[in-house]
Amino acid sequence: MAVPLRAPARPAARERLAVTGPSGTRRRRIRENWAQYVAVSPFYVLFLVFGLFPIACSIALSFTDWDGIGDIEFVGLAQYSYLLQDPRFWNAVTTTMIIWVISTVPMLLLALLMAFLLHQNIRFKGFYRVAFFVPNVTSMVAMAIVFGSVFSDTFGLVNSALTALGADALPWLSTDWGIRVTIAVMVIWRWTGYNAIIYLAGLQAVPTELYDAAKVDGAGFWRMFTSITIPMLRPVILFTVITSTIGGLGLFTEPQILLGDGGGPNEAGMTIVLYQYNQAFTQFDFGYGSAIAWALFLLAAVFAAINWRLLSERDTVRTKRQGAGR
Amino acid sequence: MNDLLSRRSALRAAAGTAALAAGATLAGCGSEVSISSDPDELVLWYWNRSFSPGLLAQAAEQIPGTTRRLRADLIGGTFDSKLRTSLAGGAYIPDITALNDNVALYFPNEDLFHDLNEFGAEEVRDEFYDWKWSLGTTTSGRFCFWPMDTGPTGFFYRADLFEAAGLPSSPQDVGAAIRTWDDWIDLGVQLRAAEGGSFIIINALSVFQQHINASSERYLDADDKPLFTQPGNAIREAWDVAVRAAKAGATGNLQLVTDQNSAFSSGKVAGHIDGAWWAQVIAETAPDSRGLWRLAPQPELPGNRGGSFMAVPKTCKDPAAAVAFMRWLTTPESQATSYNEMQLFPSAPRSFQLGTMTGGDYFGDQDPLAFFSEAALQVPTTFISTYESQVGAFAVQIANVESAGKDPDTAWNDAVEETLRILAKRGVV
Amino acid sequence: MSLRERPATAVEPGLHKAGRGPGSAPRQLLSSAVTHLCILIGVLLSLYPFYWLLVMATSTTGEIFSYPPKLLPGDNFGTNFSNLLANVDLLSSLVNTIIVAGASALLVVLLDSLAAFAFAKYDFPGKGPLFLVVMATFLFPANLSLVPSFWLMSELGWVGGLQALIVPGAANAFGIFLLRQFAMSSIPDELIESARIDGAGFFRTWWSIGLPMLRGGLAFLGIFTFITVWNDYVWPLIVLNNPARQTLQTSLASLNTAYSNDIGLIMAGAFVSVLPLIGVFLIGSRHFIANIAAGALKG
Repeated sequence: MAVPLRAPARPAARERLAVTGPSGTRRRRIRENWAQYVAVSPFYVLFLVFGLFPIACSIALSFTDWDGIGDIEFVGLAQYSYLLQDPRFWNAVTTTMIIWVISTVPMLLLALLMAFLLHQNIRFKGFYRVAFFVPNVTSMVAMAIVFGSVFSDTFGLVNSALTALGADALPWLSTDWGIRVTIAVMVIWRWTGYNAIIYLAGLQAVPTELYDAAKVDGAGFWRMFTSITIPMLRPVILFTVITSTIGGLGLFTEPQILLGDGGGPNEAGMTIVLYQYNQAFTQFDFGYGSAIAWALFLLAAVFAAINWRLLSERDTVRTKRQGAGR
Repeated sequence: MNDLLSRRSALRAAAGTAALAAGATLAGCGSEVSISSDPDELVLWYWNRSFSPGLLAQAAEQIPGTTRRLRADLIGGTFDSKLRTSLAGGAYIPDITALNDNVALYFPNEDLFHDLNEFGAEEVRDEFYDWKWSLGTTTSGRFCFWPMDTGPTGFFYRADLFEAAGLPSSPQDVGAAIRTWDDWIDLGVQLRAAEGGSFIIINALSVFQQHINASSERYLDADDKPLFTQPGNAIREAWDVAVRAAKAGATGNLQLVTDQNSAFSSGKVAGHIDGAWWAQVIAETAPDSRGLWRLAPQPELPGNRGGSFMAVPKTCKDPAAAVAFMRWLTTPESQATSYNEMQLFPSAPRSFQLGTMTGGDYFGDQDPLAFFSEAALQVPTTFISTYESQVGAFAVQIANVESAGKDPDTAWNDAVEETLRILAKRGVV
Repeated sequence: MSLRERPATAVEPGLHKAGRGPGSAPRQLLSSAVTHLCILIGVLLSLYPFYWLLVMATSTTGEIFSYPPKLLPGDNFGTNFSNLLANVDLLSSLVNTIIVAGASALLVVLLDSLAAFAFAKYDFPGKGPLFLVVMATFLFPANLSLVPSFWLMSELGWVGGLQALIVPGAANAFGIFLLRQFAMSSIPDELIESARIDGAGFFRTWWSIGLPMLRGGLAFLGIFTFITVWNDYVWPLIVLNNPARQTLQTSLASLNTAYSNDIGLIMAGAFVSVLPLIGVFLIGSRHFIANIAAGALKG
């Protein structure tokens, strides 16, 4: 996994050649850049002190059988070989992937659109911005009850509306697909505003004269959106795609509060992290919980690397073009 | 100082390499960091509404019969995670801890707790229900978990809806009509067919679980051997009853708590089987139904659901005083007080003879105390294994039968196979 | 779906060169009306559950579960709130939470922006592998490390102290990655280059160019960190051992019981704990506005 993730550093490094210049030996360049090392060091110091030991422990635990209190027994690769044959784990992988796709795609598109609309010179901008961000602030405990009652099979608002319109009530919370869609809706609800605010912060960096010029040329909404907004936002979009990928693969809070630690009927809402939590903190099987965590880490690394490849290749192109334009 | 050094080097070793080092870390956890610096103070961990505030306030002044004082820390949410983390870390461990009905989870780590018989627990054994006392005894025979409240079960039902459906409605008549589980299912079918069409219970899982709660035999025996693979086992019997109830259309197929609460409130579900403490839950969930619910003996015999315990970790600074506190807190008199304040149903039968307890008026003219104290005498003695936390597949599969129409035999086989696989992983089978 | 399609068709005519011709005003009006409509639908959907929180916070548990559901706020907030005050030391836990969340937000913004600025705008030996480490820790699933983290804290003697909540997260991969991406898209290389020519060192450049130009991202990161730490619950629950020193979330969690919950009370607590966050967001979001104004001036 180290190889694909290393790739992005190359174009980035090429980009910066103009700033520092290629001259000098390595040692001299290290000395010249002392300030940058000081600047990045707090993260590594904190990581060494507080991050490395727990991470090493959890790697170690994944080769053991431990109930969280008693004796730790070394079991070699047993947890991993069980994992490969565990249908519940693979069910969790499938569930996570499906929810990830049906939530992330609409969420990011809506967020982009909302950010674009909010960036227009419209009234009540401040209020709208707060309103969109409220879902991310609101207590998730409360949201469990809200979504439980909105999507309730028998008493829910959605089904009441459907039957009032003459359609059939849908089994939102008792079928596999109903549960996946409901969780996706929760994710979209909670994170669209958050992503929109990130995009909005990114949009501020886009010089307004670009839009003015486009308007003079008679470009409409769609045209400006696709040929100015999206290219200018590419690094920020890369950020949201990667964080949504990691967040989506790590989906936990929404299914847990909606369905409990067991993942709901037929474990249809059992995501990978919920399964990991379930094994470690309700079954007290810390060895297996750690193995699941590391399987998830591998999965997330692969997906992040793919995203990065896809998006940052174009990133370089954009930077070049932008550089040429100036 | 030496202790600290050895622990630190153990930490370093663990960070460096793999499993064995992690074991060394644990072994190295010799230095206990005390939770309270006050030598006269014992610390109790508990969760909201599991103790009488009045009695805790009294113990905060002085634990009767000792020179110690009690500091009660309210721990919410992930109680087990916090307790286990402290136990594993060997630091900041409370002197006394409350534990829920999942005490069996701590059986493998019983060495961390005192055998309370060493502090004279045996003297008061007769004051408690035998079945409750034995739930606090580990497989090796050590008595580590002191009984607090209990949850003898009964059939809760809406008398008004039963009456409107033309069914028996007084506790005596309902009790007489549901002597067997099949009678109870029949009653459910009639209730469903009547105008209003209420269900007699929220879902098939509830039937399954309460049937097991009333059984002397459960998933695994005291040697942690699976019983559900034996012919004619109690789990299969409960399964079959639950499947019959679901197939007859008597169960409500409500799988989520919010749905269930609305159903109780709206009358869509007119019956429920649960522990005595559920009286408080329904009174808060459906205050408008005050006076409409009644209690009848459930089919066959009552069981027990819920009820907590207390334990004294080995790190306790004064185990004798801790036991004195627990004895004092659970005398029949104290338990009567706890019931009146917090609706904690006593584990001491003599509490009911004191005449100081009041059952409230949620059940109209029926006295829930009389009902449940009667039920408590019939609760079977049973054994709950540590590994019952691993049998969730049965619950998943019974819900599949009810909500997705899965073939019951396939579902049963899937549940058994899944559970055996997990138990094999945990080294039980 | 309709949210996305409508504006596209509404502005289709704008593609013609006739953008400034007659009829453009009504079209603009229409497009602005559509914009507002889309936003309003989004706002309603966003706010509805929050409104529901308000309804629950002002109701009794019985009213919350009543059927048909009660759609308007009740009048039980006073009772719920006074129950809350009786059960929770609201003021002290509020102060602790503000200290923890505020200090965390400040440290994260400061330390992450330094690292992000270096990663985005400078080249130095070992940068690639160093950034790879940042990303790898970002991918690492966090909640498994509770037990070893507790060992560490107890070794340091930090159990029960607020620093156990602040220091370990004072510089994080999320923020470094976020600000790096912002810096890449919004700080032109030419500015850094001219600062260098003017003789400004790294820290000076970070202070005078990096921070001002990253204001939108910094405000977002600060607010987001504040909110995350504010709502954090599992780690504080494990590590805070002094009942007199709790955060808002651990205090509220102590209201949970084993079998039944006073939902009205818990919702009142949730409501009270959310209000300050909205205040923080309102204040923080001024920075967005200021930044947009700055952008306009620049043009």
